[in-house]
Amino acid sequence: MLTDERRLGVLVALGGGILLLLWYLAPWAVPHRLFGGEGVLLSPFGHHLPQGSLPPGYRDGWLLWTFYPSLAWLALTLVLAWIPKPARKLYLMGILGLGLFLLTYLLFQASVAQVNAGAERPILRRYSLGLGSYATLAYSLYLLLLARLFAPGGLAFLVRRRGVVVPLFSLLLASLLGGVIVAVMKKAPGEAQSLREALMLKLDLITYTYQLLYSPLVNPSGFLQSLLLATPLIFTGLAVALGFRGGLFNIGAPGQLILGAIAAMLVGVYLPGPRWLVLPLAILAAALAGGLWGALPGWLKARFGAHEVINTIMMNYIAASLFLFLISANEYKFFGRTLYLPFKYPGYEARSHEIRLEARIPHWTELVAPGGELSFALPLALLLGLLGYFLTRKSLGHRVLLGLLGGVVGYALGGLLPGPSVNFGPDLTSVRLNGAFLLALLALFFFHFYVFRTVGGYELRAIGLAPKAAEYGGVLAGRKVVLIMFLAGALAGLAATHYVLGGGIDEYRLKQALPYSVGFDGIAVALMGQNTPLGVGLAAWLFGILLTGGLQVNLQLGISRELVAVLQALIVLFIAAGGFLPRYFTDPLRAAEVEVREEARKREERGEAR
Amino acid sequence: MNLDTAFWIALFFSTLRQTTPLLLTALGGMFSERSGVVNIALEGIILFGALTAAVVVERLEYALGPGPHPWLPWVGVLSAMAVGGLVAWVHAVVSIKYRADQIISATAINLLALGAPSLVLTYFYGNATNSKEVVNRLPLLGPEGFALSPLVYLAFLLVPLSWWVLFKTPFGLRLRAVGEHPEAADTLGVNVYRMRYIGVVLSGILAGLAGAYLAIGFLNQFVRGMSAGMGFISLAAMIFGKWHPLGILFSTLLFGFASALAIQLQGTEILPAVLVQAFPYVVTVLVLAGFMGKSRPPAAVGKPYEK
Repeated sequence: MLTDERRLGVLVALGGGILLLLWYLAPWAVPHRLFGGEGVLLSPFGHHLPQGSLPPGYRDGWLLWTFYPSLAWLALTLVLAWIPKPARKLYLMGILGLGLFLLTYLLFQASVAQVNAGAERPILRRYSLGLGSYATLAYSLYLLLLARLFAPGGLAFLVRRRGVVVPLFSLLLASLLGGVIVAVMKKAPGEAQSLREALMLKLDLITYTYQLLYSPLVNPSGFLQSLLLATPLIFTGLAVALGFRGGLFNIGAPGQLILGAIAAMLVGVYLPGPRWLVLPLAILAAALAGGLWGALPGWLKARFGAHEVINTIMMNYIAASLFLFLISANEYKFFGRTLYLPFKYPGYEARSHEIRLEARIPHWTELVAPGGELSFALPLALLLGLLGYFLTRKSLGHRVLLGLLGGVVGYALGGLLPGPSVNFGPDLTSVRLNGAFLLALLALFFFHFYVFRTVGGYELRAIGLAPKAAEYGGVLAGRKVVLIMFLAGALAGLAATHYVLGGGIDEYRLKQALPYSVGFDGIAVALMGQNTPLGVGLAAWLFGILLTGGLQVNLQLGISRELVAVLQALIVLFIAAGGFLPRYFTDPLRAAEVEVREEARKREERGEAR
Repeated sequence: MNLDTAFWIALFFSTLRQTTPLLLTALGGMFSERSGVVNIALEGIILFGALTAAVVVERLEYALGPGPHPWLPWVGVLSAMAVGGLVAWVHAVVSIKYRADQIISATAINLLALGAPSLVLTYFYGNATNSKEVVNRLPLLGPEGFALSPLVYLAFLLVPLSWWVLFKTPFGLRLRAVGEHPEAADTLGVNVYRMRYIGVVLSGILAGLAGAYLAIGFLNQFVRGMSAGMGFISLAAMIFGKWHPLGILFSTLLFGFASALAIQLQGTEILPAVLVQAFPYVVTVLVLAGFMGKSRPPAAVGKPYEK
């Protein structure tokens, strides 16, 4: 069996061996690092690996001494794992390990702070724990997982959460493979005297790469930037996920995005009028154009049985041509006759005219703090809206109405409340995050509401799970396919509002630099998020973080940003293969079968005992 | 508007050159789908093949020094085929052994082909979009002025050859059986998994060949995104050609003609180039939509087989 207690000791010993190896090979902490990745590596075995010099006054303090209690802790876990009924003890050891890691972290922060406190400008700016310390953390989590797994019902616990387990495990596998790629592609900075030092430098390089990739989590401007990059991914992720839910594979999000961008530009530039009219119209136009572009392959499938995968891809290329046709020149020859177009802005660059002020989606500073005063309108609207939706016990229609009402009341109340004045630094205001992010959150809510709370969504899921049964149950399959593709296209089209109306790139225009390939990234987002709204939101944010961090990786280490694209592709591949996990995890029927067999075995054992 | 003889001759040869990669890839796709595995990863495999051919030849030139090395491009071709087969093998493992959704698994490989070349190019050349130009391109065969790359001849030779393999050999019979009714084939002692692996890897080898043709036959370097949807168009051509070598020959000639026309019209004032470029894609959509008779795919295509 998978959770036979006799195997626990082996698994712990295996993990412990790897941990010991990492402690020996990987640095414990890196207090000082240069821009290109060179650093002073600390290791409890022997001493520093100087690839630079530590500033005067730096003391390790008790940092390296945390290694010895860690060693004792590891030895204890290895012993405990072989004593009968180890699960509960391993819980304790896991928590103890987390404590040890926290202690290491605090001691390290203190030793760095001590140096920086003495100087005017911080002397140590790029500092971090090393892979050796992080390994402690990882091993503690591994122990906790094993303890849960080997407690009664542990495997069933994991199988029930396969929607989380498979993506996370795939992320882990992709990261490991990404680490190998980094190790091969990039020469470690610094001179190594021995094989161990060479390995240490490589491991540190990989760790540093991932630290940079996840660095947006810990600095405010990177955080905002990750939300900015997540915004279009939420839309395209939902566009792909909606297709998956309905049994369709929508690879057409890039084309739908382009059409949305064109429509948003046409309304935004050429339709005069007041803001309350033009802005919603421009957003609607984007959704409508993207929707129609998506509905066409849907119709071709329903009417002629043409597979949507190749058709949506062809529609992507056609859309790209149309896009270039509109904004790359204003004068074309048709059979010798000349055609004049008004769309391209004069000049060398291929771009449209500027979006009118009325049609622009406001920048995040205008939403959070209009006129320099912090506004409570949005948070209150969100809070009251959610309260209205979730706290009422009535029919769905009533709940939605109350939710909307709560939102409006919250917005009005919050708008009236006076807020403290705030002043954002230039690194924050320069991030072009805009109201399209709120639109993306609304889209997540719409997805949840439509797919899981309405009859139409029920039909959609029915078609995705069992098309023939759904048709027998009265779903008009052809019409439904067109509708699904329309809605998916509309979601992808809305992604364009972020770029064109929200100025998500650098201008309020339609530009040749429109990154429509985020439509493909939507596939990874949908799979990673397992086609659920919460999952898609989180996955989009994760990729937003990685994309932001990828810039830092490129800047500091000279590794191509496409490392992130490779990681995404690997994640998709691994999720497709069920994370290479045993069938038990990926196939619910198989899981049930194993559970029934396990029950029977236990009953038999009990019978014998009697 | 004057279209003289030179235009038509150029159009004819351009059609042959444009058809070659489509034909190679579509024949590969046919072997894969006849064995029951959809392989929309061909688009990405073309890119991997092209990247391999360009980088291998350029690096060898760098190592060997200047001077003509007539065997060098062939090393590039072979390595592109090997890499194409290897990438297809990954798709095969994930979709056959791990029973993954074949389209998702293949899409992952296509996504990989968007990102991975940049990493390799940055590593070797310091830029993310194209390789250095190679000196030793594939030679041209034929009389002066009408010479074509040997891979063009090879592609057209492969049509009767694959017809023979598919319909006149025991191997072809088994391959088709596995794609039509794997359970029955299994009962008769045919190793379903092995036949499918062979079909998919073969498709990868041919797509890798198409990539090599693009990188060191058609051009002399790797350029990012140089496959430009050829893998997908090939699949459409394969469907249009009803999974049959002869049908595939005619349908790829149609698509090759559409692209050649697009290229030949670019210099003229007949239609704007940016719109003409969309021509093959529009043809694909129209063809898939219904300008074709009833076509029946292999019955077991896209379904993972479980013993």
